[in-house]
Amino acid sequence: MRLTIAAALAATTTLTGTAGAQDSGYSQTEVEVMQGFKAGGGSDALAQLVQPYLAEELGVNFVNEYIPGATGAIAWTRLAKQAPNDGSTISITNTPMLTTNYIMNPSITYTIDEITPIANIVTDPGIAVVSSDSPFQTFEDFVEAAEAAPGTVTVGNSGVGGDDYFTSLQFEKAAGVQLQKVPFQGDGPSWTAAMGGKIDASFTNVGVTYPQIKDGNLRALAVFAEERLPELPDVPTATELGYELVAGSSRGYSGPGDFPSEDRDAMIAAMQRVMDNPDFQKAAADQALNIDFIPGDEYAAMLKEQEAEYQEIWASIKDEVQAK
Amino acid sequence: MTDSFLLVGLSNVVQPYNLLAILAGTMIGMFIGAMPGLSATMAIALLLPLTYSLQPETGLAMLASLYLAAMYGGSIAAILLRTPGTPAAAATVIDGYPMAQSGQAGKALGLSLTASLIGGVMSAAALLSIAPLLGRIVLNFGPVEIFAVAVLGITIIGSLSAGSAILGLMSGAIGLLLAMVGMDLTTGTPRFTFGYLNLFGGIDFTVALIGLFSIPQAVRLIAKGDGQSGETVSKVRDRMLPTGREFRALIPNSLRSGAIGIFVGLIPGTGGDTASWFAYNEAKRFSKRKSEFGTGCAAGIVAPEAANNAVVGGALIPTIALGIPGSSSTAVLLGGLMVHGILPGPSLMTDHGDVTYTLLWAVLFANVMLFLVGLLFTRACVVVTRVPNRVVGPVIVVLSVIGSYAINNSVFDIGLMITFGMIGLAFDSFRIPTPPLVIGLILGPILDSTLQQSLLIGGGSYAIFFQNPISAVLLVIAALSVLQATPFFGSIGRLIGRRKGQLRPPHRQAGGSADD
Repeated sequence: MRLTIAAALAATTTLTGTAGAQDSGYSQTEVEVMQGFKAGGGSDALAQLVQPYLAEELGVNFVNEYIPGATGAIAWTRLAKQAPNDGSTISITNTPMLTTNYIMNPSITYTIDEITPIANIVTDPGIAVVSSDSPFQTFEDFVEAAEAAPGTVTVGNSGVGGDDYFTSLQFEKAAGVQLQKVPFQGDGPSWTAAMGGKIDASFTNVGVTYPQIKDGNLRALAVFAEERLPELPDVPTATELGYELVAGSSRGYSGPGDFPSEDRDAMIAAMQRVMDNPDFQKAAADQALNIDFIPGDEYAAMLKEQEAEYQEIWASIKDEVQAK
Repeated sequence: MTDSFLLVGLSNVVQPYNLLAILAGTMIGMFIGAMPGLSATMAIALLLPLTYSLQPETGLAMLASLYLAAMYGGSIAAILLRTPGTPAAAATVIDGYPMAQSGQAGKALGLSLTASLIGGVMSAAALLSIAPLLGRIVLNFGPVEIFAVAVLGITIIGSLSAGSAILGLMSGAIGLLLAMVGMDLTTGTPRFTFGYLNLFGGIDFTVALIGLFSIPQAVRLIAKGDGQSGETVSKVRDRMLPTGREFRALIPNSLRSGAIGIFVGLIPGTGGDTASWFAYNEAKRFSKRKSEFGTGCAAGIVAPEAANNAVVGGALIPTIALGIPGSSSTAVLLGGLMVHGILPGPSLMTDHGDVTYTLLWAVLFANVMLFLVGLLFTRACVVVTRVPNRVVGPVIVVLSVIGSYAINNSVFDIGLMITFGMIGLAFDSFRIPTPPLVIGLILGPILDSTLQQSLLIGGGSYAIFFQNPISAVLLVIAALSVLQATPFFGSIGRLIGRRKGQLRPPHRQAGGSADD
């Protein structure tokens, strides 16, 4: 029985890192980190990578709390509405789900105005992939096919409300084409379907497909990043092909509204030191995590910008999607 | 190249340190799996952080053995307490519990252990020999094919309805309806959530399963009290190892169920739960004594147990060959690979061949270890059975509450579990079978999403299911499986039989219960 309770406790919380003695200016010694997804997912990978280093820099203990459900909305509602704003509670915030959740569902009531963005840590850029035996050799082939027969070229995404779904919508707008969007439950099923030729293409992310691209099972047509990626130097960006499209899936940290500004500054400074640490950089590279450090107000601005953009897109297609 | 990795893997796995990791993984897995609601997926997720500091091969060997042992652990609770420890053990309850009730708990557990060994070794052998080849085949299963597999799975409902077929169908329909709760995959619209965020992700069937199976049992135990002797949680008094004759009798069933397990495991998105029901159904279909199923029949234990352990190897095949997880547990395992700095996919067989083959060998060794540890450890379960009813009942409730909470760390899920407990109690009182509800709940979301995806791919035309050879064949089998359960099929059989006498025997064979 005692073991049972111990196991249940272990399931609830996982202690990471150790409390250092140095004074970093952070007001708390223990920080609860909420994650809106199950243990072992992408958010957890970020937590397990960053928090041991951050704990040392900041001199605090991090305690992970997994609150899966409603694509993170349960955790973020708690962050916005209930979490104490004394620096003792923060949450991993995933974009675009952080904003698309409440844009798409009126019953989700938190907004980004009720949280304090701390910093973005990683971004997995979007990418368009096709099977290695696909007739589409280039992104232009793909666009031409979509123009020639509107609504018939099937393109997978990781689910309605996810980054790839909105990337497809943004692309449709930018290129003036109509795709047949097929939502899957996660990136894996989406690119697998493309690889097996079940769908014509998949809009997915670089980190999850890179091994398959490297082995020649998938062909990358374009990346949705600002610049060409060092690991895929031959793959053009959508921007250089003439489509204004930079998108991806990002994960960072945010606190509740009115988070103490000294704590926020202390944490951002500590994160900056972690990002500069070569050991951390190597660990991130080993896991194929693409560091995209966007601190403080810039992160807040990025979220605001996304919110406005997605609100506009959703308003224009909402009736069409939900009338089905 | 591959040959040398095969040997390197073997010599890695027999390192004392790695064998110790397998032993530890087996013990922990059996314990966690035996607890209601603590699934194999959770066992892996819990242990994953512990492996960070281990060598990749040691950590992966531990995780693999944990996964296998959790599968068996689930059946200990299923047989002794009528409370499946993992969803994959739910089918074991049907015959395992009655057999334990009749004083043969040891035999039931022994059969489960032996079947697990056969299923597990089969899948490990499959894993070692054909993993590099099978990856391509898996790619042929997209939404259209998976929809057809799920339809075939739904036909299992017909055969799970002990007693009234109408009540069974009703229960299955309720399960399918409950599976509709949550966000619609293609529109993002929440359905039947009544504004509760906790229902946006749908009903977690593990939570429902704990309530449906364990609460009615706990209530039954408490209501019965300690006064009457007789039905307590079953004791393991008899010998566990099956006799030579029993062993020979279970071989064909184990082999068939093991093959089903490997096959189901291969298909992404379906896991031990689907495989065990599928195997149970097939065992019943092939059996000459169908009426014995549900009353404590050996074949009814062997089939799901061989299948749910065989799933492990099957599910690892696409994970390793292509980096496509075949089940939620292998998805977590895949996370473990990435933690150790190994990118999944075809490169696992080349760049990281030594670690990969260590993992494959570890699956084989873990199966043998599980058999040995199981023989020793399972006896310890007798401790649980000596506790009086009025203690066991509440303990089941407490375990169910902890288990349902721990899945998503959600208090809401405790309420959901209790609600399903009440449904289970009502079903029991009205003699409505609960397993069809579970099948509906598991397959509902798969059917829902793959149907919508297929129609999007096919431009809204249902013809896509018949243009695709794999799905067409599977759907025809499903149609036959439904038809053979109706009186209609029997009369066609007789009609043809009258015209062409020689056609009759094969029809009787293929057509399950056509002779009723």
